[in-house]
Amino acid sequence: MSEPLLSVRDLKTQFFTEDGTVRAVDGISFDVHEGEIVGLVGESGAGKSVATSSILRLVDSPGEIVGGEIEFKGETIFGLEEGDDGELRPRDEMLTEEEMRQRIRGREIAIIFQDPMESLNPVFTVGGQLREFIEINRDLDADEAKEEAIDMLREVGIPAPESRYDEYPHQFSGGMRQRVLIAMALACQPDLIIADEPTTALDVTVEGEILEMVTELQEKYDTSFIWVTHDMSVVAEICDRVNVMYLGEIIEQAEVDDLFYDTKHPYTSALLDSMPRPDRTVDELRPIQGVMPEAIDPPAGCRFHSRCPEAREVCREVHPEPRELSEDGEAPHTAACVKHDAFDVGYDESPPIETQATGGFSAGFTETGGEAE
Amino acid sequence: MSLLRYTLRRFAQAIPVLIGIVTITFFLANQIPGDPVEIMLGPTPAQEQVEAIRAQYGLDRPIHVRYFTYLSGVATGDLGLSIYYDRPVLEMILLRLPVTLLLMLSAFAFAVVTAIPLGVISAKRRNEPADHVSRIVSLIGVSTPSFWIGLVLIIVFAFYLGWFPARGLVLPWADPADVRGAATRVEVLRQAVHHLFLPMIALGTLQMAQITRIERSSMVDSLQGEYVKLARAYGVPESTIVRKHAFQVAQLPVITIIGLGLSTALGGAVLTETVFEIQGMGRLIITAINNQDYQLIMGTTLVFGFVYVIGVIVTDITYSYLDPRVTYGED
Repeated sequence: MSEPLLSVRDLKTQFFTEDGTVRAVDGISFDVHEGEIVGLVGESGAGKSVATSSILRLVDSPGEIVGGEIEFKGETIFGLEEGDDGELRPRDEMLTEEEMRQRIRGREIAIIFQDPMESLNPVFTVGGQLREFIEINRDLDADEAKEEAIDMLREVGIPAPESRYDEYPHQFSGGMRQRVLIAMALACQPDLIIADEPTTALDVTVEGEILEMVTELQEKYDTSFIWVTHDMSVVAEICDRVNVMYLGEIIEQAEVDDLFYDTKHPYTSALLDSMPRPDRTVDELRPIQGVMPEAIDPPAGCRFHSRCPEAREVCREVHPEPRELSEDGEAPHTAACVKHDAFDVGYDESPPIETQATGGFSAGFTETGGEAE
Repeated sequence: MSLLRYTLRRFAQAIPVLIGIVTITFFLANQIPGDPVEIMLGPTPAQEQVEAIRAQYGLDRPIHVRYFTYLSGVATGDLGLSIYYDRPVLEMILLRLPVTLLLMLSAFAFAVVTAIPLGVISAKRRNEPADHVSRIVSLIGVSTPSFWIGLVLIIVFAFYLGWFPARGLVLPWADPADVRGAATRVEVLRQAVHHLFLPMIALGTLQMAQITRIERSSMVDSLQGEYVKLARAYGVPESTIVRKHAFQVAQLPVITIIGLGLSTALGGAVLTETVFEIQGMGRLIITAINNQDYQLIMGTTLVFGFVYVIGVIVTDITYSYLDPRVTYGED
């Protein structure tokens, strides 16, 4: 395979709060290749958004990237080395804050935020905001940038872009504002666009239109995407490859079809079971039991064991790192679950444990509910 | 586009408010205990004299007749005759109002010019030493009465240091011939600034402190806005984000506070003028009250009311100019 566009290795981002250190992103690795849409999936609080803001080095205080490597087109966005005094320090080739601002943000990696209602500045016109970002990132003068902005608005399906250029965000609907944000990202002609749950705040019909438009424009401009979402149906719709995150870790990584039809991690299965699928008929959707534990104090062993229907004694003790589970000749497929033979830690001999999903304390009422019917 | 129409409509809407002010002022002033005529003529006046005076000021007519006479007088710019000064009330006010307006405008200018940068720096360097200093200064500013600040300024800068005069005001538009020690216009201006400095600070400190506090909290909010994150993610320089993206959104509550500050500043002007012995509206009101000059009391109260209403209207218009989300109520 060719050199990846973006390569993230063992990235760790932590938040230093008064209650302790929150390990929001705890050693994730993934690649994005040219022209690919890579999904980053997980529940709220899994660390998806922190992972994406780490890529732009825009983690809000008190958060900080504490380890790992981020390489983009041969440049080091983040990388540490051990200094003479034994302390970790940024490597010489790591881009400075000023270089990040001038060369990477917007110009090479653009972002689309989740909330189209809040992301546009209420006191400036939509066109003015679009033009400003184009001017900064494309080295165009104001008139050229305006022309480009109007073209882009047309491209993302905004009717009468010349007149809407001078309107304010409150005059746009939610779907239209999200189109504006997409236009912003595309207009800067970056190589990578990070879409951070861009359709979550929209209703389903608008979401469908936007996904269709993004797929078309992605082919036209050949931009790579990191698509952050908690919605497996969105993943199925647009992603090429998928990373499933749980509590700051990537627990399964596969091509989209493999993920859906040859699921290797119980958490991914649980996510898939909790959404309706056209290819399977079920009487009742099965939500994942329990809530995700706090990233400030993650469970020992496998982080998912407290909610896992297949958990065994060994899951409490062994913390699995993702391993390659694909056969020769198949597309890469990694998962971090000790039930697979590749881990060989005695899962089969280990006794099952009671968890929230296997009949522990909180699973009780769903089962009684089932019997009563 | 419809900003002009909006402006005109806001002024038209103010007319009932102004009539209300006139009405309340009139009836309140007529409830003041004591008889102005008695004060004018002493404790044992002759009956004919009393009646002559009452007739001269129209006090012999029933109150509702006097009310409508007064209302139509106000509408035509006639505020009656001051009993104490024996001159038209309007003439007295026109003599004093510019002094107070000069004091207030310079106090607000001082407040805005110092408070906005202070608030912005405070918000940008939140919880750093600069922020702590600015917050302590503004806390002291909002909790210290203006007359006390005035007295302290006089003691320190006029009495001990002798840098500034302690009393009076030189009007910048005064004729050089009337100003002692000033031969030219430039000299007059210099003296005007010199005299204005201490009262300006005394009156402006409270405004400055209030504006700083609002500016800071408003900027803290807008600096955390999603649009600021977006601008950062698109490589906009931090200085542009502070000066443009965050700043303009943050000014909306600040404008409101400045507008509302007009009312407190009017009250403060009365005290400041007393402390610095400035012949402005504040002193005029106090003279009017002390002498039960009810015509003058009504006139000055009305002017304060009008200034306040105009302040609110100007605030509204500025607001709609700055915030595109404010509609003109026409759709």
